[in-house]
Amino acid sequence: MSTDGSLIEQLRGLEEEALAAVETAESGEALEEVRVAFLGRREGRVSGILRKLGQLPPEERPRLGAEANRVKARLGEALEARESALTREDRTEAHSEDLTLPGRERWIGGRHPVTQVVDELVGIFRDLGFSLARGPEAETEWYNFEALNTPLDHPAADEQDTLYLKGGNLLRSHTSPVQVRVMESHEPPIRILAPGMVYRRDSYDATHTPAFAQLEGLAVDEGITFVDLKATLAEFARRYWGAGTRVRFRPSFFPFTEPSAEVDVKRVFQDEAGIQRETDWIEIMGAGMVDPAVLEASGLDAERYTGFAFGMGPGRIGMLKYGVPDLRLFFENDVRFLQQFARS
Amino acid sequence: MNVSYQWLRALAPELEATPEELSDRLASLGFPVEGLRPLAEGLSGIVIGEVQAVRDHPDADRLRLCEVDGGDGVVQVVCGAENVGAGGWYPFAPVGSSLPGGITVGKVKLRGQESLGMLCSEMELGLGPDRTGLMELEGPFTPGQPLVSALGLDDVRLDVEVTANRPDLLSHEGIARELAPGGHSGLRLPPIPGEDPERAEQLEELQVQSESGQVSGGGVTIRIEDPDRCPRYLGLIVSGVKVAPSPRWLQTRLRAVGARPINNVVDATNYVLLELGQPLHAFDLGKVGEGTVVVRRARDGEELRTLDGEDRTLSRDVLAICDARRPIAVAGVIGGEESEVSSETTDILLECALFSPGPIRSARKALGLSTDASYRFERGVDPEGQHRALLRVARIILATAGGTVRGPILDCRPKAFVRDTLRLRPSRVEALLGVPFESSSIRSLLEPLGLHVESGGNEELAVEVPGFRSYDVRREVDLIEEIARTHGYDRFPETLGAFRPGTVADHPLFDLEARLRDELVSWGLLEAQTPAFAPQGEGEVELLNPISTEERFLRSRLLPGLVRRLEYNLSRGNRNVRLFEIGTAFSRSEAGELPRERTHLAAILHGTRIPPHWGDREIGLDVWDLKGLLERVAELVSGGSWGLRPESEVTDGELFDLASHFVAVGPDGAIVGAGGGLRPRAIDLPPWAGPVWGLEVVLPELPDDPGEVTYRPLPLHPGVERDLALLLPKGLSVDRVGSLIEAEGGEHFHEVRVFDVYRGGDIAEGLRSVAVRLRFQAADRTLTDAEVDEIVQRIVGALREEFGVGVRGQQS
Repeated sequence: MSTDGSLIEQLRGLEEEALAAVETAESGEALEEVRVAFLGRREGRVSGILRKLGQLPPEERPRLGAEANRVKARLGEALEARESALTREDRTEAHSEDLTLPGRERWIGGRHPVTQVVDELVGIFRDLGFSLARGPEAETEWYNFEALNTPLDHPAADEQDTLYLKGGNLLRSHTSPVQVRVMESHEPPIRILAPGMVYRRDSYDATHTPAFAQLEGLAVDEGITFVDLKATLAEFARRYWGAGTRVRFRPSFFPFTEPSAEVDVKRVFQDEAGIQRETDWIEIMGAGMVDPAVLEASGLDAERYTGFAFGMGPGRIGMLKYGVPDLRLFFENDVRFLQQFARS
Repeated sequence: MNVSYQWLRALAPELEATPEELSDRLASLGFPVEGLRPLAEGLSGIVIGEVQAVRDHPDADRLRLCEVDGGDGVVQVVCGAENVGAGGWYPFAPVGSSLPGGITVGKVKLRGQESLGMLCSEMELGLGPDRTGLMELEGPFTPGQPLVSALGLDDVRLDVEVTANRPDLLSHEGIARELAPGGHSGLRLPPIPGEDPERAEQLEELQVQSESGQVSGGGVTIRIEDPDRCPRYLGLIVSGVKVAPSPRWLQTRLRAVGARPINNVVDATNYVLLELGQPLHAFDLGKVGEGTVVVRRARDGEELRTLDGEDRTLSRDVLAICDARRPIAVAGVIGGEESEVSSETTDILLECALFSPGPIRSARKALGLSTDASYRFERGVDPEGQHRALLRVARIILATAGGTVRGPILDCRPKAFVRDTLRLRPSRVEALLGVPFESSSIRSLLEPLGLHVESGGNEELAVEVPGFRSYDVRREVDLIEEIARTHGYDRFPETLGAFRPGTVADHPLFDLEARLRDELVSWGLLEAQTPAFAPQGEGEVELLNPISTEERFLRSRLLPGLVRRLEYNLSRGNRNVRLFEIGTAFSRSEAGELPRERTHLAAILHGTRIPPHWGDREIGLDVWDLKGLLERVAELVSGGSWGLRPESEVTDGELFDLASHFVAVGPDGAIVGAGGGLRPRAIDLPPWAGPVWGLEVVLPELPDDPGEVTYRPLPLHPGVERDLALLLPKGLSVDRVGSLIEAEGGEHFHEVRVFDVYRGGDIAEGLRSVAVRLRFQAADRTLTDAEVDEIVQRIVGALREEFGVGVRGQQS
């Protein structure tokens, strides 16, 4: 009689029994009991059979040993498989909540869209060496007109229909007075930006509001030329609207710059289909070389120093950028409008 | 300025470019064309119609039945215009033709009468603004002739935007000068159709009688009493004119630019104004008292009925053209009705004068009336152009209205114009433009503009400025601009060069504004921007010329404007409105000084604390949300130097509800901000809107730098905490309790936090249970229980002694 034969048979019987027990275990605890009952180091029934290995003649031991290892491995796999199945079931049961319900939010704030445009424009000009200056919104005729080479009896003083204060002062009709104030108080080199509100006697319509944002820039030093003006503003335009942007300078007239220019841009871009497209020419700012009369009025030697200045409307640029059709939307402050820009 | 393409071509015969090309070139020269309109557009179906007979409509008082020959037999047309007359020539739109607006003319019945076509007004054809009646045409024509060829409408009207510095471009000659090949020297005056060359020659040789103060001849005396306002006045008498409608060529020119023909004399003056930019006036000489013309300031109260039919009272701001007795015209602005040229006029006095810009501007403002003449004089009329313009208008009148010139040209000229010669350094051109220009290229850029370069050294040029550029070319830099402009801005390079950093430091308020914006955005607020205008009661600084009564003042604070934005949002169905604004507030200062300006920050809060969530009860914002935000704002603005205190006095108008009102106090004790619940009666909100919270602070003019963060070592040993439930008697505030705890806590005291407030239940009437957590910490060791107990006992003892505060769970 072969004892090993009966031991192997016992082992196989045990395997069947254990596999059935694994499959019917309904919880992690039950499964652990099955594991201990069959594979436990001390009490386990498979281990019990292996302990009888010593009773076998040496030549039969390897066969039983191999068979025992196979059974142990098979049981181990079955236990693992059953355990993960049970865990899965567990999870499903525990999470009876509908996780598609909305999460808990916080209110999202945001800077005003015109502020965002100003910040972007300022960011680019900062990289080009400009710092931030400010001046009063209520001004004298001197700073708003006369120091800017605009005699009060010249039609150019009329074109920006000015809001006057009782008592003779006025609300600045542009940010250019800051140019004069900065030049009075600082020695060149001067490179400044002056963002701020300006006021004109315009009725509200889609492209006019009596108060609106403006961004002024001024660079004054020895040796600044019209080429510097063109280069700086073209560089700005390409950084803001993209490297392919085309920039056009057209002669124009402002009393406080000479030569004066209107600056237009044409955006060139690829559409979704990869086709190159371009916009119309869009007027984005006025600019020019600072008129010597302005330098002199500000106390600078116009033979020694030259400079350029520019001014643009962040509101208008915002309209183009965001596709806002009506400037008044920026002042209505409808929260549904403001929220569209609340990303930062 | 409306410009006729054909007129330009007539002035510059060598100009060969399409209207579109001219439009592009004008834009690149600095004068964008805002509109380009082929006059014949939409008029191809319109013909000349002759009205043969007019009868009353049997069933309508205002309508007439006209027999119209439109070239295709005589048809009946019902017409409502008053100026329709038998024998008249009018534009006619036959049945089946269409008008410029796209309307097709059909066969209709008007009050029972058939109408087969339409007689048209200027307005209906898009040829001018006149809609009062039919467009009357000066015949004869062939009925049925196309209107476009009959009136010479194969022209294009360009609407050129002329900048305020270039009055010389307010004429066809000026525009042609910019465009013609060779510029100035390529121009010639178009021939006058029907002119007798011999008479023209005589006129050109007409003697000029020139005097400085007063000049007489041919029975007329001209005297200038105000040479500053009128440096020159030319007069010429033409007698025996026959005033009648202008010939077709003249009407065509005027119509092409949208001007309405009146009669041959007036049309001639308008033609020369449009061609040369020189305003002219024709007086009926018979109505000029004693044949005397005096140019003087009007006396206050003098009266004149002007050509527009208005009775005007003049003042000393107005320069008047007077006869021996009284004003007959407002100089440079408008003529008088009485001396107007009419069909009875036979002798005329032509005026061609130079008036100074400033006074014309004052007169225009005083009268509230801007005309073609005042528009040009205000900007500057060529001081050398009077003689030429006078001869031009006289030649046209002789050719179209007949008559003869009587006497010499009277030239009253108290102030002679002298041309300026400007120096121009090529080195300066390069210094400003960044590109070198040779003297020869400077010359070839300036000469076409009529700017004559006199001497040619390379160091310095001398440039003579003609009268028509004397207003805008007065300095070297003005010449440099012309060089840049005619050279072409696009031809300058765009190479970014090196630059020196500026000496101006950032204004520190921008940084504070940016930090405040970031903070408020992180608290879930949306930034608003509102105009700085306010109604009465919300501002101290008043506007002289406000846009509306609601915007008559400059705001002295921002919160009322934000309240209006809240009301606006709620009225549009928006909820949970949280807005802030950083902007300027104005207050009155000494008379004559600029108003005081300060930058304020205001915020308004309404609705729930967080977006409503299905799992929570909705929690509305309360006073603690407002206080927390105000504390945070005060901290950021002042770096901790501002304090907050509950306020029971009304400090900020009637805006805040005193039950929940705080003020922020600066280190000097000044109130620098406020916040709290807004009084329901101060705001116009529906009753369901719930509480509204607001705050407003004044930002410092020059904020301090927030400074650097300095690291503090973290404690190496755990701290010890003790909870106490304190029983505060009525009237004792938590901040006093906190201060005492801090004072008594000793060196190891770290912080005290309130974690619960409770009233009622087992708490005796009049008491409040405030639970606080005290934290103690030593840098070098862990504190023992005994040590901490001792400190706590000291604190409890002090609280009991000082304020009568008991501790729950302990016998007091």
